[in-house]
Amino acid sequence: MINTAILSWVTFIYFGAFVFYLFRMILGREFGGQLASWMTLIGFIAQSIALIIRWKTSYDLGIGHAPMTNFYESLIFFAWTVVFLYLLMEWRLKNRSIGVFVMPAAFLMMAYASIGPGISNRIEPLIPALQSNWLTSHVLTCFMGYAAFTVTFALGIMFFLRKAAAHDSSGVRGLIHMLPSEDQIDELIYSCATLGFIFLTLGIVTGSVWAHYAWGSYWSWDPKETWSLITWLAYAMMLHVRLMRGWRGLRMAIMAIIGFACVLFTYLGVNLLPSLHSYLI
Amino acid sequence: MAYTSFSGENLLTKKKSAIWSFFSSVWLAIALLLLIALIAMIGTLFPHREAAAELAVRMPQGLFSFLQKMQVFDLYHSVWFFVLMGLLACNLVICSLDRLPTALRRFRAKPDPRDPVPFKNLPEENIFYPESDVKKAAEAAIHLLKKKYHSFQQADEPGSVHLCAQKGRFAHFGVYMVHLSVLGFICGAVIGSVLGIEGAVKMLEGEMVSSIDLRNSGGTMPLHFSVRCDKFTIKRYENGAPKIFQSDLTFFINGREVRSTKLFVNHPVEFEGFSFYQASYGPAPGKKATLALLRADGRRDIVNVLAGYTFKLPGKEGTFQVLRVEDNMMQMGPAIKVAVRSEKGTVTFWVFREIDRIRKMIPDVFEQVPVFNPGLFRPYTFSLLGIEEKYYTGLLVNRDPGAPVVALSAVFLICGLMIILFSYARQIWIRIDQVNGRVRIGIAGRSIRNQVGLKREMRHLLAQLENNLENSK
Ligand code: HEM
Repeated sequence: MINTAILSWVTFIYFGAFVFYLFRMILGREFGGQLASWMTLIGFIAQSIALIIRWKTSYDLGIGHAPMTNFYESLIFFAWTVVFLYLLMEWRLKNRSIGVFVMPAAFLMMAYASIGPGISNRIEPLIPALQSNWLTSHVLTCFMGYAAFTVTFALGIMFFLRKAAAHDSSGVRGLIHMLPSEDQIDELIYSCATLGFIFLTLGIVTGSVWAHYAWGSYWSWDPKETWSLITWLAYAMMLHVRLMRGWRGLRMAIMAIIGFACVLFTYLGVNLLPSLHSYLI
Repeated sequence: MAYTSFSGENLLTKKKSAIWSFFSSVWLAIALLLLIALIAMIGTLFPHREAAAELAVRMPQGLFSFLQKMQVFDLYHSVWFFVLMGLLACNLVICSLDRLPTALRRFRAKPDPRDPVPFKNLPEENIFYPESDVKKAAEAAIHLLKKKYHSFQQADEPGSVHLCAQKGRFAHFGVYMVHLSVLGFICGAVIGSVLGIEGAVKMLEGEMVSSIDLRNSGGTMPLHFSVRCDKFTIKRYENGAPKIFQSDLTFFINGREVRSTKLFVNHPVEFEGFSFYQASYGPAPGKKATLALLRADGRRDIVNVLAGYTFKLPGKEGTFQVLRVEDNMMQMGPAIKVAVRSEKGTVTFWVFREIDRIRKMIPDVFEQVPVFNPGLFRPYTFSLLGIEEKYYTGLLVNRDPGAPVVALSAVFLICGLMIILFSYARQIWIRIDQVNGRVRIGIAGRSIRNQVGLKREMRHLLAQLENNLENSK
């Protein structure tokens, strides 16, 4: 299918973008960064087109639905939201330094979608419970939240590198250029976490509304629901320790990483547990 | 840094008891959130309710009953969880009450244009010296403030003009909306668990029920109305997965038909305060056969039958009974075994759907095996039109008076978060005066929550003012 062919090209483009972002950071030249930005943008546009084609194809097959209903599609869509958010940030902040940390995540998701064991890239029909208008809004908001948390996580990693680079003795110093200051990173971590929190809230609320229609109860403590609540609570704690206890810097970076672990478990881990969501992932 | 401590202000206003301080502490809030998250986590590791019985077999008896006593198999309805939720509610209420006076004061506070404090240690970048006089500069500044903040305050002093404006005062309440909504969720959940009903029914086509099985207690509850499933339909995709399933329902009150409706997945039906959901379906024992009865005089009747069904033949010649329904009888396709009883005795025979194919293969089949002849009982010839899987339809029947409270809270939560994200309270001062014969404009600001945004905003203001003054020359 043409859409999967495009998507595998996009995987390579994202990898290329990562490599150029890396050059930029190591050599300290803006030129690599420009190339990286263009590649990211081109990859993003190609990915958007592939998603639209896939959407249209599903209608041609008579089982029309938004391309976000099986594991393959959700990985691709996850990568799409991450790149979308990243491009938005790069444009708003006029700063490319986050790319090195975000693009590997997008690349890995795309790559895993195409080579992961047992992941089918076929367009599959929807069972009746999934045929709902809430599907799109629920998945969209959840994944925007996940994407914001992924960027928060990337910023957390960046903070650690930046901190290491501040010490003369560490070997990374010579390899790291053009990163924002620790205070700036800290501020970004907070903004991204807040953004993610809002989207996750929207995701949980739309999910509950849908569950109310489909399963007759807005909350049934199914493992995926429960883990999304745990993730939500983790980020609520993160906001509170910052606002009320004045936690900054390293501690927030650690919280960003813990929070992301919860996100990953909500996304992937719960499939090890029995769940109503098992058909959706 | 942006970190602001509020405790100092509160200490000034009143002395608090230890209990009050405990419940208004944010550490308690963080500890509670952590505990709730931990309990929720443990809950996902253990099977729940009915499913826990499986574990009992594999686990030492003592350990199992200990875990059961600890309510590990139903943590989300356990005493632990309720206590934590109760504590969280208290924490939220007291913390909010504790801070409300401060928030109200901040909300009501009017900035004073002459306030010198914001200008202390004003960074150089917030000051510029236009080539203009005080009056013109003031006009430009007023124009800008009017445009951006709708209203402003002014104080003139000889040789200087002091202006101030504010925006986003309502953002002080965003956090209250968020916290109130969490309380709302807790209330809604409590209402739901006390007054709510979660039931389920399974119905065959044509069956009528007037009670539901309660999911939590395992008992049944009578309804003051009855509901009948007139028809259950399922459509499939080519790969066999279900595409649509639906039940046609009719509701009765006191035996009187009140409403007929179709029930689809994702589209619940409301009746008398209960919500009906198409939840599931499953194979029912037995198969459904469609049979045509052809009489010698040309009359033709079609009936749907199940194994065990008995009915009188249309011409009262006898009673017809279905003994067996087979998907594939002796590799010759679908068939039913029937018995017809009349005054002349009982005849038993098979009715095949693919009778023509069988007769082509074995032309004298009726002579060899008379019980394969569908015309064995005169004056009828029976023919089998088809055999279908029989299903029951599974409905959930719920009533949750807490749901509207939860829905309202969700709206509140989202509005509150939007307010927190998209707006913040800030006050802006502009001071225009003269030093060493030059006009000096300084812009200062104050915000509790968003220093970064404030800085950006002041930079924009400065640039715009500079620009306007440049152009008006
Ligand atoms: C599930 C429960 C809770 C949620 C979802 C929640 C959510 C929030 C959010 C979103 C904020 C604003 C963060 C920001 O400004 O970026 C906040 C602030 C705050 N929360 Fe909570 N909260 C919860 C429980 C509590 C509890 C139990 C307390 C009680 C001590 C508390 C005390 C505070 C305080 C004092 C602030 C700062 C208020 C201010 O900035 O003036 N929160 N909370």
